[in-house]
Amino acid sequence: MSETAIPALASTARTTRTIAHGTLVPRLLAGLTIALAWEIVVRAFAPAYVAKPTTVLTAIPRVVVDPAFLDATAITLTAVAEGLAAALVAGTAIGLMMGRSLVIERILRHYINGFYAMPMIIVLPLFSLWFGYSGAARIATIIFAAIFSIIVNVADGARSVPREYLEVARSFRSTPMRVMTDIVLPAATPYLLAGFRLAAGRALIGAVVSEFFLSVGGLGYFILYNSRSYHHNEAFVGVLLLAAFGVGFEVLVQEATRRFMPWYRRDEKS
Amino acid sequence: MTHQAVTRGGQTSLAPQHATPRIRVKGLGKRYGALEVFRNIDFEVGEREILAVVGPSGCGKTTLLRCVDGLLPHDAGEIWVGSERISEPIAGVAMVFQHFGLFPWKTVFENVAYGLRMAGASRSEIERKVPDFIKMVGLAGFEQAYPYQMSGGMQQRCGLARALALEPSVLLMDEPFAAVDAQTREILQFELLRIWEQRPTAMIFVTHSIEEAVLLGHRVIVLKGRPSTIHETITIDLPHPRTRATLREPRFAELRERVWSTLMHEAREAEFQLER
Repeated sequence: MSETAIPALASTARTTRTIAHGTLVPRLLAGLTIALAWEIVVRAFAPAYVAKPTTVLTAIPRVVVDPAFLDATAITLTAVAEGLAAALVAGTAIGLMMGRSLVIERILRHYINGFYAMPMIIVLPLFSLWFGYSGAARIATIIFAAIFSIIVNVADGARSVPREYLEVARSFRSTPMRVMTDIVLPAATPYLLAGFRLAAGRALIGAVVSEFFLSVGGLGYFILYNSRSYHHNEAFVGVLLLAAFGVGFEVLVQEATRRFMPWYRRDEKS
Repeated sequence: MTHQAVTRGGQTSLAPQHATPRIRVKGLGKRYGALEVFRNIDFEVGEREILAVVGPSGCGKTTLLRCVDGLLPHDAGEIWVGSERISEPIAGVAMVFQHFGLFPWKTVFENVAYGLRMAGASRSEIERKVPDFIKMVGLAGFEQAYPYQMSGGMQQRCGLARALALEPSVLLMDEPFAAVDAQTREILQFELLRIWEQRPTAMIFVTHSIEEAVLLGHRVIVLKGRPSTIHETITIDLPHPRTRATLREPRFAELRERVWSTLMHEAREAEFQLER
């Protein structure tokens, strides 16, 4: 019965939780060590305006209620979400086509890999000319930063769909379109997620870098502005928030994977 | 087919009806480049007949089955299912795969529903039929389980239900029990016989197990040689329904020996060819 089936899932979840619990203290210690080293070095060698953990901590309550900070965060996060969504949809579609069609793959491969290797800072001057010093240029940069890692990974995933699945699909008279949606896409989902995680990090970097360069409002600009006006502690609150996004996104993807794709990573014992 | 029809089918299936062949294979040949896999394959399968195909490893049994399903093109001859000539998979023919071919991201229910969905069945039809077939193969209660949560035997039950759900007139079985353990294999063989008695179809059953071929088949064809041809067709005159008791009948042992002696020579040859 399904009662016998469920414990398999429950026990995996339990194992994961136990390990997370068991490493909590060492994890906290690692963080404290980093913070302590930072504090000591700054106190010993740096001028007073250089940010250190204690002063950043005291800045947090001030900054998180600052409307300028909240607005900046909202603007950047919205842009990242929009850009990522566009990159995800377009990147998945292009990746699937590349992965399943040798012709399309041959036509696009070198260009995709070329763009993938291109630092996004290179295209910023062009984007600023094409789209102006505006949010549009920022979105374009985010998409440029994010889309290629999604394309490359989805194409890999679509290429490596087990032949057996495709054969079953053909035997059951699936149409090519449904093979894409029912078989290739789910089979490539683990690759898609790997690409998406890379893309999310790159999208954040894209957003911040474009704000630096374009001077459009947002979290990146908040950090730049505060650091240039010697508000290093305030700037660091923004930096830490960016780091938290990175961690939070990773956790979110993992949690979503566990919840919605229980069949995936079933062999992982950690 | 309704549930009533299932029962009625069970009551009337006393003997295979060779009179109307469901599958006709004529002069079939297949090659992979320079390698000729088989040639001159001729056989027919009745509407209610199980044809077992045995042969040494690499003789092209599975290739033959894939050709009949239309998954692989053939190079010579013809394959007919009813009045349709096979060049690609057609409706009414369903295949059960050696490694189950279940989709890991689908639950048992969704895997069983797959063929119906591809055939354009309505939602209500799927809701109505799928549970019946899940029950038929003994997986009731596991509808929401994923393949990775199940044993190999249960996974193949699911694969069987997926094929049966289409209510095909032809079932193609590609060493379906080769990947499960010996006890499970035996259980599944009798389950298959029970289900076939309930709703008899034309069936080609490819296996490397002689015992399995004799137990299940109305006839056994032995593939031989390089390229393979049909070396012998052996009629298995064991009465139906076949049960565990069939295994103890002297006639069963006799037929098994007969197929074995036909095959053994070939098997030895194949083995030595590999060792060289």
